[in-house]
Amino acid sequence: MFASIIASGLAMGAIYALIGITYNTMFATSRVMSFTAGQLGMLGGVFGSLLMLRLGLPLVLGLPLTLLLCAGVGIVTEFVAVRPVLKSLDQHLYVLTTLAVALLIQQVTAIEWSTEPQPFPRLFELGRDAWDEKYWLPVATCAVTISALEFLYRRTLIGRAFLAVAEDNFAARALGLPERTLRVASYAMAGAIGALAGFSGGQLLLAFFANGQLLNFYGFIPVALGGLGNNRGAIIGGLALGLFQQAANFTVGGIFASVAVFVLFIVVLLVAPQGLFGAPASRRV
Amino acid sequence: MKLTRRSVALGAIASSALGTSLFRLVSPAIAQTAPIRIGWLASLTGASAAPAIGFNRGVVFAANEINAAGGVKGRQIEIVTRDTQGDPTKAVNATQELISQLKVDAIWGPTNSGESLAVTAIMTRNKMPSIHPCVVDSLIDPAKYPNAFRIAPSNTQWDDAVRNYCLNILKAKKVTVIGDTTGYGVTAANASVAAFKKAGVEIATQANIDATQPDMTADMLRARDAGAQVIVVWSVSTGMVARLLNTRATMGWDVPFVGHPSMASGDIGGLLAKPSNWEKVYAVGYRSCSYDAAGALPAHSQELVNKLQGKVNLSDSLLWWVAAGVDAINLVAQAVSTTGSSSSEAIIGHWNELAKYPGYFGAYTFSKTEHNGYPTEDVVMSAANSAKSGSFALAPGYT
Repeated sequence: MFASIIASGLAMGAIYALIGITYNTMFATSRVMSFTAGQLGMLGGVFGSLLMLRLGLPLVLGLPLTLLLCAGVGIVTEFVAVRPVLKSLDQHLYVLTTLAVALLIQQVTAIEWSTEPQPFPRLFELGRDAWDEKYWLPVATCAVTISALEFLYRRTLIGRAFLAVAEDNFAARALGLPERTLRVASYAMAGAIGALAGFSGGQLLLAFFANGQLLNFYGFIPVALGGLGNNRGAIIGGLALGLFQQAANFTVGGIFASVAVFVLFIVVLLVAPQGLFGAPASRRV
Repeated sequence: MKLTRRSVALGAIASSALGTSLFRLVSPAIAQTAPIRIGWLASLTGASAAPAIGFNRGVVFAANEINAAGGVKGRQIEIVTRDTQGDPTKAVNATQELISQLKVDAIWGPTNSGESLAVTAIMTRNKMPSIHPCVVDSLIDPAKYPNAFRIAPSNTQWDDAVRNYCLNILKAKKVTVIGDTTGYGVTAANASVAAFKKAGVEIATQANIDATQPDMTADMLRARDAGAQVIVVWSVSTGMVARLLNTRATMGWDVPFVGHPSMASGDIGGLLAKPSNWEKVYAVGYRSCSYDAAGALPAHSQELVNKLQGKVNLSDSLLWWVAAGVDAINLVAQAVSTTGSSSSEAIIGHWNELAKYPGYFGAYTFSKTEHNGYPTEDVVMSAANSAKSGSFALAPGYT
């Protein structure tokens, strides 16, 4: 039982963490919490199943195409739901626009794909029981993704440009950085990260249109726990959430497990409103 | 001639009286030739579309068959379909439209309980003859809803069939009951547990599982450790059922699964790690749509299948959905044919006296105090992995 808790807890935690990073990536360049993050995860599973099972493409084609398609959805989100409301961020209109796009994605998937969960292919046929690939794949994907992001942000010029826009977009623009292009690129990147979450977790979550809501919800918790915009915090928050959720699931059962998760979430936010790893927001007076 | 206010008023009264009497003279003639309009609340798109698409095939087939034979006493059947998309709000709007604007004579549907719960009272207020296949028990109450009739089993009838199979055929003394976390899953699991306890069966564990929960190991381990001899499942979630079955196989446990018809859904096949994971799974089925050990359907059902051959696709649907759709239209047509009227009183009055009407899905019996028309003894268990042209093999233990 202990091995099952660890295996499924880490796997689900890694998926939640990747969705948390998706939220953060979109937030960094636009200051918008885009509620399409979970739907991008859902689409990762659906496109993966569509391309590999229905169209019979191999993994080397199926995965890049899935990432490209989800990156496209990310870009469309920026144009349709984010750009028009950036001027009035203080009115929080983005909540409505991004939720509307999320709903649109979900309904189109339900109608065009299926309302029933569809199978996701075995990718490598590696491992069994607690070492089955469906458990370690999301964890490995999460590790690779966070390493790549760290490299991008700290070792490359374009990564530093992202950080500059995230830090102060007015100053970045004044320095001549293409803020709009960088924002579009960050939404494309978020689309690809969301797709990785759904693709690597496809064997656990299946290709199911309703996964979007679940991921939106549970993917937001690592962001709140780890601190908004903090990817390392999202990883730790996500893994902790996954392990706690599975432990609660094994000890007290399904309905009560969800209650336990939200009780913990509220308690953490009461103790540290800025998240466990977030800095208190400073305000110039 | 001088026009005065009085002469205009008198003229208006006279012409209105003449008009009314003329209308009275011609209206019976209109009624005798006007089509019989049957409203059809079908969730043809959206989350619960598959059953409605199956029912719709039966509805269209029956209407075409009756019309091709000259209609009902010269009156054609007109099906007025509204797609409710599984949304209770849309079902309410469609019901209002069917009753107030389109003036239908009877309504068939909705086909899921959530929508039916929303529209049943509206139909009752308008005395609309209503016939549906939804399972929630409270939808049928002749005192509260004298216009509403059910031609499929209620949830209690499903529950009875499942419990009887566990007790009498599988000889189980200890069962685990699992539902999902939807309103239906929780209610059905609780009712099932209560009925098992009343019958003297010990409940090993009871669980309500979120249908999107990716790992079912915890719930299955708890059930095994508690000594469950049968797992009873009440959920429409094929993903959840498939995960439970895959987990059972991983654990190397051969405990039988008994329960909701969704366990026989074709979607489950694709979600299983191995086809053999679907063995020893028995889902609620119907004698009329089950084939015996020799592969033969009951004669009356075979007659329908022969009629449908080449006209209605059964490969991606269930026979009972199509058969119930045919029966619903035939029940309305038969009521009008027998009483000679399509008035609400005539149709409801006729259904209230119906005894063993030989439908294709079942032999329906209604009375003024019982509007659950499906015979309980015809609710049986099917081998979930035995689908063949929309019908299933009887589970082991039936003759």
